Amino acid sequence: MADKKAAKAKKSNIGFLSSIFAILIGLLVGFVILLICNPSQALPGFLTIITGSFTHGAKGVGQIFYYATPIILTGLSVGFAFNTGLFNIGASGQFMVGSLGAVIIGILAKDLGPIQWVVALLGGMALGMLWGAVPGLLKAYFNVNEVIASIMMNYIGMYSTNWIVKSSPALFNALRNESKNVAATANIPKMGLDKLFPGSSLNGGFIIAVLAIVIIWVILYKTNLGFELKACGHNRFAAKYAGINEKKNIMLAMMIAGALSGLAGAIVMLSGTGAHIKIVDVVAGEGFTGISVALLGLSHPFGILASAIFIAYLTAGGFYLQLFEFSTEIIDIIVAVIIYFSAFSLIVKILINKFKQRKNDKAAAIANANAEPGTEDKEGGNK
Amino acid sequence: MGEKVSLSQDSEYVVEMLNITKVFPGIIANDDITIRLKKGEILALLGENGAGKSTLMSVLFGLYQPEKGVIKVRGKEAKINGPLDANALGIGMVHQHFKLVDNFTVLQNIVLGLETTQKGVLKMDEARKKVMELSERYNLMIDPDAKIEDITVGQQQRVEILKMLYRDNEILIFDEPTAVLTPQEIGELMDIMRNLISEGKSILFITHKLNEIKEVADRCAVLRRGKYIGTIDVASTTKEEMSEMMVGRKVELKVDKKDADPGKTILKVENLRVAAGIRGHKKDVVNNVSFEVRAGEIVCIAGIDGNGQSELVSAISGIGPMNGGEIYINGENMTKHSIRYKNTHGLSHIPEDRHKYGLVLDYTLAYNTVLQQYFEPQFSKAGFLNEGSINKYADELIDNYDIRSGEGAQTIARSMSGGNQQKIIVARENTRPHDVLLAVQPTRGLDVGAIEYINKEIVKERDAGKAILLVSLELEEVMNLSDRILVMYEGSIVAELDPKQITVQELGLYMSGSKKQEVIGVGEFAPTGKLAVRKDGE
Amino acid sequence: MDVLNFIIQQTMYFSIPLLVVALGAMFSERSGIINIAMEGIMIMGAFTSIFFINISSKMGMAGQLQLVLAILIAAATGIIFSLFHAYASISMKADQTISGTALNMFAPAFAIFIARVIQGIQQVQFTNTFRITNETLANIPIIGAMFFDEAYITTYLGFIILIVSVFVLYKTKFGLRLRACGENPHAADAAGINVHKMQYAGVIISGALGGLGGLIFVVPTSVNFNADVSGYGFLAIAVLIFGQWNPVKILGASLFFGVMKAISASYSSIPLLAGLGISSYFYKMVPYIVTLIVLIFTSRNSRAPKAEGIPFDKGQR
Repeated sequence: MADKKAAKAKKSNIGFLSSIFAILIGLLVGFVILLICNPSQALPGFLTIITGSFTHGAKGVGQIFYYATPIILTGLSVGFAFNTGLFNIGASGQFMVGSLGAVIIGILAKDLGPIQWVVALLGGMALGMLWGAVPGLLKAYFNVNEVIASIMMNYIGMYSTNWIVKSSPALFNALRNESKNVAATANIPKMGLDKLFPGSSLNGGFIIAVLAIVIIWVILYKTNLGFELKACGHNRFAAKYAGINEKKNIMLAMMIAGALSGLAGAIVMLSGTGAHIKIVDVVAGEGFTGISVALLGLSHPFGILASAIFIAYLTAGGFYLQLFEFSTEIIDIIVAVIIYFSAFSLIVKILINKFKQRKNDKAAAIANANAEPGTEDKEGGNK
Repeated sequence: MGEKVSLSQDSEYVVEMLNITKVFPGIIANDDITIRLKKGEILALLGENGAGKSTLMSVLFGLYQPEKGVIKVRGKEAKINGPLDANALGIGMVHQHFKLVDNFTVLQNIVLGLETTQKGVLKMDEARKKVMELSERYNLMIDPDAKIEDITVGQQQRVEILKMLYRDNEILIFDEPTAVLTPQEIGELMDIMRNLISEGKSILFITHKLNEIKEVADRCAVLRRGKYIGTIDVASTTKEEMSEMMVGRKVELKVDKKDADPGKTILKVENLRVAAGIRGHKKDVVNNVSFEVRAGEIVCIAGIDGNGQSELVSAISGIGPMNGGEIYINGENMTKHSIRYKNTHGLSHIPEDRHKYGLVLDYTLAYNTVLQQYFEPQFSKAGFLNEGSINKYADELIDNYDIRSGEGAQTIARSMSGGNQQKIIVARENTRPHDVLLAVQPTRGLDVGAIEYINKEIVKERDAGKAILLVSLELEEVMNLSDRILVMYEGSIVAELDPKQITVQELGLYMSGSKKQEVIGVGEFAPTGKLAVRKDGE
Repeated sequence: MDVLNFIIQQTMYFSIPLLVVALGAMFSERSGIINIAMEGIMIMGAFTSIFFINISSKMGMAGQLQLVLAILIAAATGIIFSLFHAYASISMKADQTISGTALNMFAPAFAIFIARVIQGIQQVQFTNTFRITNETLANIPIIGAMFFDEAYITTYLGFIILIVSVFVLYKTKFGLRLRACGENPHAADAAGINVHKMQYAGVIISGALGGLGGLIFVVPTSVNFNADVSGYGFLAIAVLIFGQWNPVKILGASLFFGVMKAISASYSSIPLLAGLGISSYFYKMVPYIVTLIVLIFTSRNSRAPKAEGIPFDKGQR
């Protein structure tokens, strides 16, 4: 048993180290860019990114969690699909239709009263699930590459969301070219977080996101479903051989992933902070950030939680950067560099594993060599 | 190239590999090996899987750099850093897995890497002329404009040989060239090899088949577990002696087993048909096959690779397509049932490719032992896995089957040796409840110890009253293990034989399609599985 | 007739960049490297070249020479940027989709950040002095609208690139070797071809054409560059798949997508379509929906290069 724990700890250490490696390089590149653009302000600017969030007490920390909420969920969406061997690059589209679902119910279904926000969240999840189901269906039954199908679904999602909002007077605020405010009862309750982090925009959505992390962790590591999903992800042929219904699992994985991204979109719309669907032809960034979160978190639910909070912390730091002559895009640059190198560090990880394995092989080879005569007797003889 | 290298007086060898040592982390693949190839001879390189033959040839071909040792070509020390260097020295290789681009034409494949061009633009006419000349001179008939994906494996091999000849190679390496060929094609290849020698080429012939060595090779170098054992003159050495050199001890080729005592029919296959999956091929891969396997007998499907055996078993287990016919297990019609249903209603299956199908390599040993059973009440409650009972079960299998691993049940399967990986599969398939076992090449790629062990386990299964359908490409294995042999040729069963009544040679004739039990028409199999005509009165 | 000419002209503005970028992606994928970073490459190419036009205009430069220089800058930028993808996916054997995703995130952020540092705002303005109109030739039906009425030299360039691509891919040693690497890199390696070198070449070509595509997408359709190419990089990949990795079919696919785009951009001035009252969003969505449908029918028999997306490892034979 002790061995087991040690082995697991070692494995996660490698992943952790490779993520740290990517983060450090990302920060370094960010710093160098600042340095080149404006040497005199680079250091204070960089320090602001790192420390900005902590200079505003509980409010600052609350803001980090607030920014983290949607990307925890989109990260979980992408990471969950990764576990089944699928690349859900369509989190953006699922996020947008999720927003749409929440906004429609949040504006139109005023009669629901105190449960309106719950229904609105579920509506967002349902639309996200539908959007995830399409690439899942195409992958399972027509062998269509889910990356390409998801990219197509992103644009279809974006255009249909804009189309529906814009063509409905009840939803559309023509003056500001965005969706109208949702009803007060559609906003997610604060669930006490306003007391813990006074002044921040944090709300119950964060608790829902953390709950989703725990639920997905249980599904992946404790249940039959998780066993099947991961088996499909690791080796779809062996999964088929084992009698696991691969098509069903692909569908299920993409639908759950879609629902998580849809939930993310819904939470943003219902957070009571004045978020609206803006009618611009731009694909939502939260979905792509979700890819970063999942990669950095090594597709493990708890890793995703940590990496989402980390990226949110950088983003929050980035807002204070406007005091200087830098724009907040430096954060996106840093995150992009982190992902780029995390793609490397997957390799670093594999190399370390290979090295370890070879060491094991060597040990085994030596053990075998020593035990050779006996081995053969035993195998050839009285087994 | 083209430069005439005169042989120095004291050197009759075109290639000398002296004291070659190649180490991979954890494994010494080649340990101080010395072999010499004479001009105009066929030198066989004999050894089991993993003996280091392919590594040694990869060193000669420049794919690996040795840690120690010297390579001399035509008496001169050579540094070979890659296929290009090897080519410049006149060394060519037919790889075990052909290195051909499927959707290119024969001609394109031959010229690839050595194209004739004018200012970068391909000029295929000259190349075509040269290829046609070579093809006539060495009797290697081929259509230069056919696409690789449309020609037979034997023809593909000719393309590989033409590739070497096109590059004016003098030293030709053949890596296990007969594994994929039919007996006729093997015969033709042997003729081609002799032909090449008579034209002044020298050949290194990697194989583990003694008959072929006897037929064409002049001398034979034997490797065992990365070490050099010796070089012998083929004409004056018996096969038994060579076999002993290869394996390192007297091999008990006969498996100790009692006569079979078949009971009731467990597996019944009727008119099973699998259509060709490859574009352009119209003929069925499995053509109306019917047979039965009874409790307590081992029925072996013999045949040359690619005659439909794999497709047949895949259809039965459900991992491959099936286009017609019926399958019964214990009298229940399984044709339309899912893989899961078959798995839980009497079917066990040791798959052909243990990495592709048999294991989830990134799962632990424990998870792999319950791959088809994780949902059973024993291992799972209300949709949640019971890790405790899974580990306990795995530990039992580890003990019972002597599976060796670094971290016990928690070892990641990928980090285990091939033999132990195969043991996980055998343990799993033999232990879980079943009545019929499909075993496809269960000993492929394993060393002799593991082969003996797995063969014994299969016999034990039989004696425990299970019905066993075995697919094997190794004639020895077929003769030793089976109680009944069904020979498959081009998708059909062409003969049912009793291993005690026939010779290996006779079996070979059936396998190559040169002999058939003509009386049996397709579909005329009696449902009992007994063939209309028997060679003996079993 | 005017309406038809107008649509044809608009179609060219959308189709040519799609054609060029999809051909770029084709070279990368034919060498075995998936390049979904085309969007980012376009953005980078457009960014530097539009910036060049912006600055050189202030110095009095204008006309075709300026455009030619911009083209070279766009291609060079694309090459440099694509090298990051090549290094990650070829030398480091990283996951090609992840590397591409990172570059797609990097490009717009970088363009905005640098634009703000240099000029305070993120939109880069430019003056379009590149239109070519030949009054007499413009009257030729269809052809006139395609090539001689408010056309750009980039339109001609697009067709030249197409012809050169066909020739290079099927008639040269380079093309034969490139295709071999995408289909079976181990066969290419055994034939003495440096697979990594060929793959670098494939990705570099995709970078050059991607950067160029960014420029020629922005110039006719906008008056400033806002760190965005409207998803054309992704659309070009759809065109590539739609065109089954075949240059001539890619032309067909990009013309189809271009027509749909042109209609969605200008349907209100087309009496027939305006009368139907269908939202412009419908026309905007059609190319994506059609791609999905086409994928359903082609994926079973996909002509995708067989070794695409699998890092080539010499050791794994």
